[in-house]
Amino acid sequence: MLDDATAAYIVENQRCFEDLKQVAAQLAGLLVLKAAGSKEAAPDHPTLGAARLLFREASDALRRTCPTDRARKHHAHLARAAESIGVALKETGGDLNVDRILIPLRAGYTELERAADALPGFEKVSYARACCGGGRVQ
Amino acid sequence: MSAYSLWVMEYAAVPDYPQSGLIYGMHNQGTRKLPYCYVVIKGQGQLAMVDVGYNHKAHGEVLANTYGVRGWHPPREVLGEIDIQPEDVSNIFITHCHFDHMGNIEDFPNARFYIQERELSKWVWSMSLERRFRWLMLGIDPADIMRAVDLARQGRLVCVDGDRESVLPGVDLHAAFDTHTWASMYVTVRNDLATNSQNSFVFCGDLAYGYENLRGHDPKDPEYIPIGLATGSQFNVIMTAEAMVKSVGGDVHRVIPPHEERLKDLYPSRITKAGLRITELALADGEKSWV
Repeated sequence: MLDDATAAYIVENQRCFEDLKQVAAQLAGLLVLKAAGSKEAAPDHPTLGAARLLFREASDALRRTCPTDRARKHHAHLARAAESIGVALKETGGDLNVDRILIPLRAGYTELERAADALPGFEKVSYARACCGGGRVQ
Repeated sequence: MSAYSLWVMEYAAVPDYPQSGLIYGMHNQGTRKLPYCYVVIKGQGQLAMVDVGYNHKAHGEVLANTYGVRGWHPPREVLGEIDIQPEDVSNIFITHCHFDHMGNIEDFPNARFYIQERELSKWVWSMSLERRFRWLMLGIDPADIMRAVDLARQGRLVCVDGDRESVLPGVDLHAAFDTHTWASMYVTVRNDLATNSQNSFVFCGDLAYGYENLRGHDPKDPEYIPIGLATGSQFNVIMTAEAMVKSVGGDVHRVIPPHEERLKDLYPSRITKAGLRITELALADGEKSWV
């Protein structure tokens, strides 16, 4: 059973979690294009600007959060995720170097996965309207 | 004469999926079994697949508990039923980027993966949009995207731009832009290797979930009915259905929707000890039957 304060923490931080996950996906998507040789993978791709903006918002939200004892582990994972994803974002300054960006990005995403496992209410993938999501049994 | 053996391999299923999610307009008309399958293409010295299923480590528990997906089994076990190991698969055609079709790429360490470039580039573009557009990214797992980076670095990700003929002997890839997804892809196997084949199959991914999408509710008076979910336009879905059906000479049963349970009524099949169905569409010369 979750206490009220932890439940409130979950509600408050779902958006931050989603945003960090989105930033990770944005960066990963650009890296796929770059590694696959797509001409669309360039440092001025609009997704990169969107990622920077979203990351700033998520980082600000994270700084404002006070975790409960029950949520402390989750919060630590989220903070480490933000730190690593921030490093990955900084590496996008010049040419998109896949190796330099991918290492911190992967570390950040791993921390997001750990955060998702640490408390309920944080989905790694949004299934709500996925192909297989029509048969919700709950 | 068949150049390739073709099997549809079930790896999991939803026993009671709402019909309205599959066939446009079938609201309040109950449920049906929705098998999750991938396709094996074997022959001409080639071992290929269409899609690879989802990654149980990442998604299994949520899918099982929340959406009633049952009976997931790993590729090693599923493919083992026809004496194939995942390491032996050399080419995989990804019909689209949803996690239940491309989520299990790491189980195939020696395969090259073919996907439409636009499928990737439009997903990435859609990620630049504001949060209120997030519906456009449904079914995408960031971890899958990261695994795709590794594929690309290893030179195992082949981005296809539109149609590509004879990617393997007698195997063609066709783009279906702005349909179920940004750039879904269907695979045609010309099983007599002829240019104007009289023995071809189309593997359509989620461009059709069931035969109602391809012939309507009355086979005597056929019509195309769109699928229940499209990021692109239902007009494009219908025109793609027409292209697929035409390419198999009008025989809709040669268009193979991997989620169609009634394939068992059309082709020989068996149920494995794990409760999964293997459907055998064709046998190449010299290949033994596995059903």
